[in-house]
Amino acid sequence: MSKPASGGNPYLNLGALAVVVVALCFLPMLTSPYYVRIATGIALWAGIALSWNVICGYAGYISFGHVAFFGIGSYATAILMQPDYDWNFWATLPVAAVAAGAVAALVGWPALRLKGAYFAIATWALAEAVRELATVVDVTGGSGGLKTPIRLDDNFFFYVMLVTTAIAYAICYLLLERSRFGFQVKALRDNEVAARAQGINTNLVKIEAFVLSAVIPAVLGGINAYWITFINPNSVLNTIITDQIVVMVLVGGLGHIWGPALGAAAMFLMQEQLRVSYGETTAYIIVVGAIVMAVVLFLPDGLVSLARRARRMRLVRQLLGRARNDVTPTRTEKQTEEATP
Amino acid sequence: MTELAQALVGGILIGGLYVALSIGFSLSFGVLDVVDLAVGMWVVLGAFTAIIASDALGVDAFLLLPAVFVIFGAVGWLVAPLIYRVRTSKYALPALMGLAFTFGLATLIRGGLLTAFGYNPRTVRTEFFTGNIELFGITAPAIRVAGFAFAVIATGLFLAFLFYTRTGLAIRATAQSKENAGLMGIDVKRISSLVYAIYTALTAMAGAMLGAIYAMTPEVGLRYTLFAFFVVVLAGLGSVVGVMAAGLFLGVLQSLTTTYIGADYTLLVVFGVLFVALLIFPQGISRRGLA
Repeated sequence: MSKPASGGNPYLNLGALAVVVVALCFLPMLTSPYYVRIATGIALWAGIALSWNVICGYAGYISFGHVAFFGIGSYATAILMQPDYDWNFWATLPVAAVAAGAVAALVGWPALRLKGAYFAIATWALAEAVRELATVVDVTGGSGGLKTPIRLDDNFFFYVMLVTTAIAYAICYLLLERSRFGFQVKALRDNEVAARAQGINTNLVKIEAFVLSAVIPAVLGGINAYWITFINPNSVLNTIITDQIVVMVLVGGLGHIWGPALGAAAMFLMQEQLRVSYGETTAYIIVVGAIVMAVVLFLPDGLVSLARRARRMRLVRQLLGRARNDVTPTRTEKQTEEATP
Repeated sequence: MTELAQALVGGILIGGLYVALSIGFSLSFGVLDVVDLAVGMWVVLGAFTAIIASDALGVDAFLLLPAVFVIFGAVGWLVAPLIYRVRTSKYALPALMGLAFTFGLATLIRGGLLTAFGYNPRTVRTEFFTGNIELFGITAPAIRVAGFAFAVIATGLFLAFLFYTRTGLAIRATAQSKENAGLMGIDVKRISSLVYAIYTALTAMAGAMLGAIYAMTPEVGLRYTLFAFFVVVLAGLGSVVGVMAAGLFLGVLQSLTTTYIGADYTLLVVFGVLFVALLIFPQGISRRGLA
């Protein structure tokens, strides 16, 4: 994790993002619909993984309930698009965002005051509670699920997903790497006591970060619900979604702005390949678990650190002793604990 | 009135098993400083091991409980050094990485069980303790009474080990302060492995008992993780009495929910109570809950 530089040059980063997005816009004209669907999936997961990176990589609070926000968004869109209400698709997305943001604020308010582990399981419990609720309540169609109006236009969903994710990245980049808010979030992650001493309202900042990270998957969930035309608790509130998010961010690089996109692309392609080769199998869950453990043990900073490490090697050789001291990560966690016996 | 009494007694009987599966979890949290998110998976694994072994060997599942203890003690002993390594690493956020690691472990076990056994529910079958026990007009299935008795014995032995042996003293010292314990000549790494091994063994054994009462699928592991966590949050870290009270309370809460609202709402109610508890005690009921 360490220091994500100072976020780099904003024109360069945002420019690169714009170039990639514009280039991808030509994808439907160049390839078959199958690859367009895969690209849509990558865009979806890149966005969800990004949102998780906000709360985990930047704020240092691990959330195992992110699937809840994805599900809330999916259901908000699906419910409002039922014939009884018959909302326009675009109008449902802000509702999805607000609903998920409100739940995040409500849950985050007590849970974010606690040590990370408590927050982690509180969010996990939230996801389970939401799933249970969706299964028993009438408005969600119970375990039978809901159908959304069918729109057979893969390109439409590809563009919507791509642009939404790109906007999410741009917003998160500006907020987390280029603004005061970003420094506050990182400060509280690295040393909460010190951050508070600097006059940062850490509780508020944490809640803001959590709400930001809840809104993104909700909007993407709404789009996804319209795309896949049928949702039920087993598809949009499945714990496997959380597993996927965790592994994608860890593989890509925790706390790095482009890490989630990299991890999402790598893991999604791998999953597709497995599905093509072996069919739908639960063995995939084993692979996910094993990769999470391996990454934590051997590559804690994810794939992005490979590039950074290669670049740093030159410096290390030059400055030898001094560089090693600088690279040693801060042991803030330890200090915090000693302060509160 | 009998219905209420019935629900209360049933809840307390189940609550005993929740105490048995949370007490080791609470201790390993204190010593390793990592919440083991795989706790529910040890429960399910314990139950499945008992089922498979009793089918294969033709021995009653209850006679295999000591074997379950030994097997999972060994497994825990092998896994613990990895968790210890992550927790004491020089990563920027070792606590967070520790959580991610145990999450990966839980996912790995869940995937393995799903692949091997699918989604079909299974129960631990036993010849012993069939029928009901009736006392003062309250009937309770004998198997639940046996489960409670098992929980009392297992928890009692565990506490005796913790409070009346030299190793137990070393464990308690490590839970209080790793650095000072290390200065007193305690091998903190070895103690951590030992605690983790005992915890997995105890939890798996409690899981085998639970499997005789409730059907087990690989998916219910998460439920028991949440239950164990609920107990630890309510109890406060390092409080043995707290774990007992919270475990029994959880059993009663579950039983009352099932009787009066419906079994489908159990997790919702548990989450609601947890939420309210966190609201009332924002610092965490244990003082270590502080950020």
